[in-house]
Amino acid sequence: MFLSLIRVIKFSLQDIYRNIWLSLVTVTILILALFSVNMLLAVEAISRAAIDSVKEKIDINLYLKSEANDEEILAVKSKVSNLEEVKEVRYISKEEAMEKFNEKHKNDPDMLEALKELNDNPLTPTLVIRAKDIDQYGSLIAKINAIDSPAIESRNFNDHKTILKRIDAITTKVSEAGAIISLIFVLITAFLVYNSIRVAIYIHRREIGIMRLVGASNSFIKMPYLVSSAIYTLAGLLAVIAIFFPFLGLLQPYLEAFFIDYNIDIISYFSNNFLKIFGLQFLALAAVNAIASLIAVSKYSKV
Amino acid sequence: MIKLLNVSKIYQPDIKALNQVTLHIKPGEFVSIVGQSGTGKTTVIKALIGEERVSSGKVIIGGWDVTRIKPADVPFLRRQIGVIFQDFKLLPKKSLEENIAFALQVCGQAPKKIKTIVPHVMKIVGLEDKMRRCPNEVSGGEQQRAAIARALVHRPKILLADEPTGNLDSINTKDIIDLLLKINKFGTTVVLVTHNREVVNRLKRRVITLDRGCLISDQECGKYIL
Repeated sequence: MFLSLIRVIKFSLQDIYRNIWLSLVTVTILILALFSVNMLLAVEAISRAAIDSVKEKIDINLYLKSEANDEEILAVKSKVSNLEEVKEVRYISKEEAMEKFNEKHKNDPDMLEALKELNDNPLTPTLVIRAKDIDQYGSLIAKINAIDSPAIESRNFNDHKTILKRIDAITTKVSEAGAIISLIFVLITAFLVYNSIRVAIYIHRREIGIMRLVGASNSFIKMPYLVSSAIYTLAGLLAVIAIFFPFLGLLQPYLEAFFIDYNIDIISYFSNNFLKIFGLQFLALAAVNAIASLIAVSKYSKV
Repeated sequence: MIKLLNVSKIYQPDIKALNQVTLHIKPGEFVSIVGQSGTGKTTVIKALIGEERVSSGKVIIGGWDVTRIKPADVPFLRRQIGVIFQDFKLLPKKSLEENIAFALQVCGQAPKKIKTIVPHVMKIVGLEDKMRRCPNEVSGGEQQRAAIARALVHRPKILLADEPTGNLDSINTKDIIDLLLKINKFGTTVVLVTHNREVVNRLKRRVITLDRGCLISDQECGKYIL
């Protein structure tokens, strides 16, 4: 048993070495396939992170009366903070609101001029409320509407509901489309890898026939090719890891520049899920390669 | 030792490669099966090693009923018969030594024993100084000798030779035939399939003649009659 195993591994390594160009071509195809799959994963991770960041930035503004005193404002803030759906409540005073307005419209002289016409600060203090989850905004709005306080100026959230619905619909469609595209892509990649291995074994078809005529059993013929396909898989995966992480390192600054204020760290994503991502890829690719090897060798050993 | 009993082989739709052939070859014999191209000579060899299933009749070789053999048992049958082919059928990426050793490795022989047997067999066929060469680095005659060494290495009682000199010149042909005669002297049954008139006439051994799939002649000290 042990002798057979040694022989199988020896034949496999001999075959890889003595057909080195074929081996390199096969591994290159695996590298390209794996690189594409990992790029797809990266795009998915980035879009998911961007969507989550957008969702996180959605908030509700609860406008308070200008004449409300600190005690009343604090009371409202406290009631809102205690709601289970609320992640964060921030108070923006009239003065702070004015500063933000001027900053936002600094390149719009007409808007600034219009504001100057009004002598008083027309802006009201605001409570900026952020929910823990975008799906909880519905119940949060209902609970805010139920809060009874003389400090609250207005509580019309209809626009919010519409916007939230639209964002939710778009993000759901983006996720679904992403999943379908990923599945198609993965299937194409699996098919490509399957055929690459079959072609590699097709080139050995005469040798497989000779081995069979000399008295080799099916398992004696198949095992070295299975071992070779596992070695190709491992070599391809290691090469992709060696290429992909530096590539992510080059990509990260561009992501940070493009998605300012969004916390997108693609390197951490791949590092934190390293075993899951690359482990699954190894298993899936090894399975595809093994199936391709077995089918091809069976076909050519019918002598 | 070898029996074909009313064996027919029909390739679809209606090509009769063998037609009710009956023959019996005793242990230790040297038999030539002759005929022109397409008369069914190679089909006999293929039927004997289980490469082709006959359409009717019985094929028995070395105690194996090949007509009833399970696919999983075919490798075990082939390990007990030595076969050499016109196109040598050596593994191109292995050296001559590795090609010969392969026949022992498939039987599960220990590496130490292989290291003893292979050089000895290569010496018998005159290839002791070409062990590390690959098939494409030696001549046709040397390749055929390596193929013979591979066929003999597990000491089969039967050696089937399918047109072994088909791709060789006259000098190499003589060497190969002399080698086969030498093997036969040691007790191995040799079945030589050939269409080479000079070889058959020189041998003065039993000659079975096939014509259009039928056995037309079986002579103890025969000649090429077609």
